[in-house]
Amino acid sequence: MTQTYSRLRAGLGALAHKPYIWGVLGIVALLIVNVTRDPGYLQISVNPANGYLAGNLLDILRESAPIVMISVGMCLVVATSGIDLSVGSVMAVSGAVAMEFLQAASAPQSTMSAAMALLLALTVSSLLGLVNGVLVAYVRLQPFITTLITMLAGRGLAKVITGGQNTSASSDGLAWIANGRVLGFPVVVIIAIALALLIGYLVRRSALGMMIEAIGINETASRMAGIKPHGLLITVYLLSGLLAGVAGVFSTATVMTVDVSNTGYLLELDAILAVVIGGTALSGGKFSLGGAVVGALLITTLDKTVVFLGVPSAATPAFKAVVIIVICLAQSSRVRALFRDRRGPVRMKERVA
Amino acid sequence: MTAAEPIVEMHDISISFPGVKALDGVDFRMFPGEVHTLMGENGAGKSTLIKALTGVYQIDSGSIVVGGQRRQFQGTGDAQEAGVATVYQEVNLCPNLTIGENVMLGREVRGRVGISWKATHRAAAAALARLGLADLDPTRPLGSLSLAVQQLVAITRGTVFEPTVLVLDEPTSSLDANEVEQLFGVIRGLRDRGVAILFVSHFLDQVYEISDRITILRNGQFQGEHLTAELDRSTLISTMIGKDLATLRSLDAQRAQREHEEGARPVVRARGLGRAGGITPTDLELQPGEVVGVAGLLGSGRTELARLLYGADRADRGTVEIDGRPVTLTSPAVGLRHGLAYSTENRRDEGIIADLSVRENIILAIQAQRGWLRPVPRKEQDRLAERYITTLNIRPADADRPIKNLSGGNQQKVLLGRWLATNPDVLILDEPTRGIDVGAKAEIQEHVLELAGEGMALVFISSELEEVVRLSERILVLKDREKIAEIENGADVTAETIVATIAGHDQNAEVVA
Amino acid sequence: MTKRTWLGRAIGIVGMGALALGITACGPGGDGDGSAGGGAGGDDELVTVGFVAVGPEGAWREANEQNIQDTFSEDAGFELKFAPAANLDQASQIQAFSSFIDEGVDVILLSATAGAGWESSLQRAQEAEIPVILIDRGIEPDNTDLYVTRIAPDNLEVSSSVAEWALEEFPDGANYFVLEGPAGVSVVNERNEGWDAVMSEHPEFEKIGAQTANWSREEGRSVFETVLRANNNDIDLLFAQNDEMGLGAAQAVEEAGLVPGEDVKIATIDGTRAALEALADGQLTFVAEYNPMFGETALETVNTVLDGGTVDPYIIVPSETFDSPEAAEEALPDRQF
Repeated sequence: MTQTYSRLRAGLGALAHKPYIWGVLGIVALLIVNVTRDPGYLQISVNPANGYLAGNLLDILRESAPIVMISVGMCLVVATSGIDLSVGSVMAVSGAVAMEFLQAASAPQSTMSAAMALLLALTVSSLLGLVNGVLVAYVRLQPFITTLITMLAGRGLAKVITGGQNTSASSDGLAWIANGRVLGFPVVVIIAIALALLIGYLVRRSALGMMIEAIGINETASRMAGIKPHGLLITVYLLSGLLAGVAGVFSTATVMTVDVSNTGYLLELDAILAVVIGGTALSGGKFSLGGAVVGALLITTLDKTVVFLGVPSAATPAFKAVVIIVICLAQSSRVRALFRDRRGPVRMKERVA
Repeated sequence: MTAAEPIVEMHDISISFPGVKALDGVDFRMFPGEVHTLMGENGAGKSTLIKALTGVYQIDSGSIVVGGQRRQFQGTGDAQEAGVATVYQEVNLCPNLTIGENVMLGREVRGRVGISWKATHRAAAAALARLGLADLDPTRPLGSLSLAVQQLVAITRGTVFEPTVLVLDEPTSSLDANEVEQLFGVIRGLRDRGVAILFVSHFLDQVYEISDRITILRNGQFQGEHLTAELDRSTLISTMIGKDLATLRSLDAQRAQREHEEGARPVVRARGLGRAGGITPTDLELQPGEVVGVAGLLGSGRTELARLLYGADRADRGTVEIDGRPVTLTSPAVGLRHGLAYSTENRRDEGIIADLSVRENIILAIQAQRGWLRPVPRKEQDRLAERYITTLNIRPADADRPIKNLSGGNQQKVLLGRWLATNPDVLILDEPTRGIDVGAKAEIQEHVLELAGEGMALVFISSELEEVVRLSERILVLKDREKIAEIENGADVTAETIVATIAGHDQNAEVVA
Repeated sequence: MTKRTWLGRAIGIVGMGALALGITACGPGGDGDGSAGGGAGGDDELVTVGFVAVGPEGAWREANEQNIQDTFSEDAGFELKFAPAANLDQASQIQAFSSFIDEGVDVILLSATAGAGWESSLQRAQEAEIPVILIDRGIEPDNTDLYVTRIAPDNLEVSSSVAEWALEEFPDGANYFVLEGPAGVSVVNERNEGWDAVMSEHPEFEKIGAQTANWSREEGRSVFETVLRANNNDIDLLFAQNDEMGLGAAQAVEEAGLVPGEDVKIATIDGTRAALEALADGQLTFVAEYNPMFGETALETVNTVLDGGTVDPYIIVPSETFDSPEAAEEALPDRQF
C-alpha cells in the first residue's frame, strides 16, 4: 500500500518535470469545468443499443486520433528546426484518393478494395511528404516555403482528384477503421495509440531521435560530426506525410465523405500548437512525442468543451485562443520566473515552518 | 603630426559578462590625425573595447573622455553625438538605394516640402568629394558597385557628420591588394584632415603600412601602447601571444623525441591543397605517430587548411592521398570514413550539441558513421562514455548531463572523446586548448603526446607558440593564407624562431590579400 | 545574389507545381480559346460575361455553377469567363472581379464568398458602367444601388418553410438545436432569421442551442455527438442549415443508439441527391430545396439588362420542399445535384 503510494508519488514527481505538464493540467482543468456543468461527464457506459462503450472521454479520444497522427509527424519535423504546413492538405488528398478509388471500385464493400484504397491513399501521402523532404534536404529550400507550396498545391490536387466534388463512397472496411469497435473500444483510437507508440519506439530505439535532435540543435556541428542530414530530413518529412495520410483516412472515413475544402482545413495549425503545448520548441532540438500527443488531446478536449458548454459559435475562436494563451504563458520560463520571484519569500517561510 | 592632447582617453575600463571578464582595467588613447591600431588574438577584448567606445556596451567601471568631456554612453546615438563614427566589418548598407541615399540615410536634407533629394544628393556628392571619391555618381544604385567601393561608401557615410573619431572594424578583410590601397588612400586623406582613426585588422603588413600607433590587448588586459615605428614585429607578436622574448628564449622545449621508421609511408599526403579565398596551395605530409604543429596568427589560414584536410570545406585545387590512395574529401562524413577527425576551433558553433548529454555527444560521430538504423547499443554507449569520462578526466563525471552545463575545458575533453571514439588514424586539433583552464590544458597536451605514442598522426594548431613547439616534431608556419616555412623541430627551435619567421617574412613580402 | 536564385527556384517550383497539378486550368481566364478579350472573337455578336464564382464548396454549388456555365453557352450568344475563388478566399474573388472590370466585360455575375467588403469593387464596376448581378449570395450592407439585381432562392422563405413544417410535425412543441454554417456568412444569418421569425411566435419550441459545423459532414457528426451527450439525448428536432451537416448529425444520432426520424427528427436545407437519398432512407425527416438551377433566370435577366430594361432588385428562384420518403423517391431520378 505505502509502496504503491510512494511509487505513485514518484511518478507524479517525474510528470511534474515533463515539459508538457501544463498541457496535462490544461486537460484536467477543462474536464473539471465540464464536470461542473454535468457531474456525469466522465462516466463511461455501455450503450445497450449496440454494445459500444460510450462517453465523452471516448468521444475526445476518437476525435483526437487524426490530430494525434499529424502532431506526431509535425513534432519530428519541428525537431529538425523545420515545419510542415502541408499536413492538412495532405489529409484532404489522402481522403480524396481513398474515396475516389472506392467510388470507382467494382466491389467497394470488399476488404480487398478497402485495403487497396488505404494503401493507395498512404502511398500518395508519402509521396507528397517525400517531395517536401527532397526539396528541403537537397534543394535546400526553406521548410516553410516548401511546405507552404505543397499545402496550396495539395488542396488543388485534392480538388483535381475529385473534380471539385465532395466525393462519398461506402466501404465497410474503411468505415470500420474510423467507426468500428473492438470489445466496444473504438478501433481508430487503438490504431492511433499503436502508431504513436510504434513511432516513439522507432525514434527512441534507433538513433533517429538523437540525430534529429542533433541537427535541430546545431546543424553545423552535426555535419562536422559526420551526420548527413539529407536522409534524416527526407525520412522525417516522409513520415509526416504518411501520418497525415493516416489522419486523412481517419477523418474522411468517419463520414465516408471527403470534403475537399474542409477536410484537414487549418489542421496544420492545430498540429503546430499541439507540438508547442507539448514542450517542443519551434526552433528545433529536443522534442517530446508524448508532449505532442498531450497537446493534440488538449486541443480536442478544448473543441469538445466548447460544444459541450454551448459557447456561441461566434465566441468559439476567442475562447480557444484564451485557453491556449494561458497554457503557453504558463509554459514560458520568463513568466514562471516572474512568479517565482514574487513567491520567493513566502516559500522560504514555508520551508522554515 | 601628433597633437599634444588626445581626443579619446579611455581609462581603467572594465566590462564583465556572465562568467567572463571581457575587459579588465584597460587604458586606451587616440590622437587627432593618427591611425591607431588595436592588436590582439581572438578573445583579447578588441571588439569589446570598440563597442565600449561606440556606445554598444556600457562599461562597468572606468572613464571615457572624448573631446575633453567625460562621457556616459547609453547607446550608439550618444557616441555619435560625441563625434565617434563606426564602420562595421560587414557592410550594412541598402544595395537597392542609390549611393547618395545610402550616404545620407537618416540625414536627408529637408526642403520646404519633405526631403529635397536634389540637395541630399548634392550633400552626398560633397561628402564623397572630400574623400577623393568625386568620380562616384551619387545617383547610381549602390548594388552595382564592387564590395570594396561599397566599403568606401560606408566610410563616406560614417564621415558625413564630420566625426572627430572614426572606427574601422576590419575594413580590409574581404578586399584584394588594389582595393586595400584605394581604401588606405581614403584613410590617409581623413587622417591628414585631423580625424583620429581606429583601425582593426589581422594583417600585419597592413597594420605596419597604415598605422601610427598600436595598442596591444591580451585576455582583456592592456599590454602596452607603442608608436608603430618603435615596435618591431617580433615584440608585437610575442606580446600578443603573451610570452615575452626572454621567456620564450629560456623556455626549454620539452618536446618528446619519438622514433620513426625511416621512409615509412605517410598516412596523409596533400599536394597543392588549396581553396580560393581560404588558403593558397599547400603541401603537407603526415607520418603515423607524428605530431605536426601549425603556427600562424589568426587569419593566417591555419583553420582553412585544417578544414580542407578534413573535408569540411571542399578543396578547389590539389590532391590528397590517404595510405597512398587518392581520395576526394567532399564532406566530414567522407573524412571520418577515411580515418580523419577534426576538432574545431569553434567549440560552441561547430563542436558541441549543447542540449544533448555528454554520452550522446561522445557517441555522435560513430553513430553518424553507422547511420540511424544501426544505433550504438546502449551498453556500448555507456561503456564509451564511461571510458572517456575516466581517461580524459571529464568533470563532473555524469554521462547524462547536458554538455552545455560543463565548463569549456570539459566540453573540449568530451569533444576529444568523440573523435577518439571513432578511432581515427589522423586527428586534427584546432586550438584545442583555447579558453580552457591551465589544468585541462596540460591534460590535453599530455593526451596529444600519448596518442602519438600509440601511432596516431596528429595536426596541432594553436596560437600559443610554445605549446606548438613543445608538442610538435615539425611545424608548418602560415602567414596571410600561405605556408611560408616548414621547420624541423629541434633543440634550437623555440617560439622565438617562429616569431622571427613570421616577422622576417613580413619585412620583405608584398601585401597579400 | 543568393536571394535572387532562391526566389527564382521558389517561383520555378510554384510554377511547376501549378502546371503539374492543373491549378492553372481553374484559374481566372478559363479556357484558352477566345478568352483573350471581347475583341478577339471573330463573331462579334458574343456577349462577354465574367462570373466571379465560389468554386468547389459542395454538390449544391457545383450544380449551381455548372448550370450557369451550361446556360451561358456560345450557342446562346455568350462568352462566359469563369473565375472560381481559390479556397473560398475573398481576396482572390476581388482580384478576379477587378480584372473583369479592366478587361471590360459586358456583365459581371458575382457569388461572393463573404458578404462584407465589396463596396469599392462594386463602385468601380459602376463607374465602368458594367452591370453586376449577384448570384445566390448577397452582400453586406445590402446596398441595392451598387448592383442591378440579386438572383437567388429566398433563404428567409426556405428556412421559414422548414419552421412551418416543424410546427405541424410537433404540434405540442419540441426541444430543438440548430447546426449553422460559419459565423458571419450572409446565408447563415438569413436562414437563422427565417427560422427565428416563425419560432419566436411559438414558445412551446425551446431552443437548446446553436453551434457551427462549418457546412461539413464530419464536423456535423462530431458536434452533434457532443450536443446529444450534453443534453442527455433530449433533443427532438435538429435544424441543420445544410444537407451535409444534417447527414453527419444523422450518423451521430445512430451512433448514440437512437433512431433518426423517431428519437431525433432532422430537417435540412439544400436538397442534394445525398440528402434526398437519406430522406428516402428515413435518416432525414424533412428537406427543403434551395434551388440551384437558376441559369435560365439569370440569362433572361442579363438580356433584359443589356437591352436597357429594368428588373426587380431581388429575383426569387422558386424552391420545393420534401417532407416524406415517398416525395424524395419521386424526385430522385431527375435530381441533378
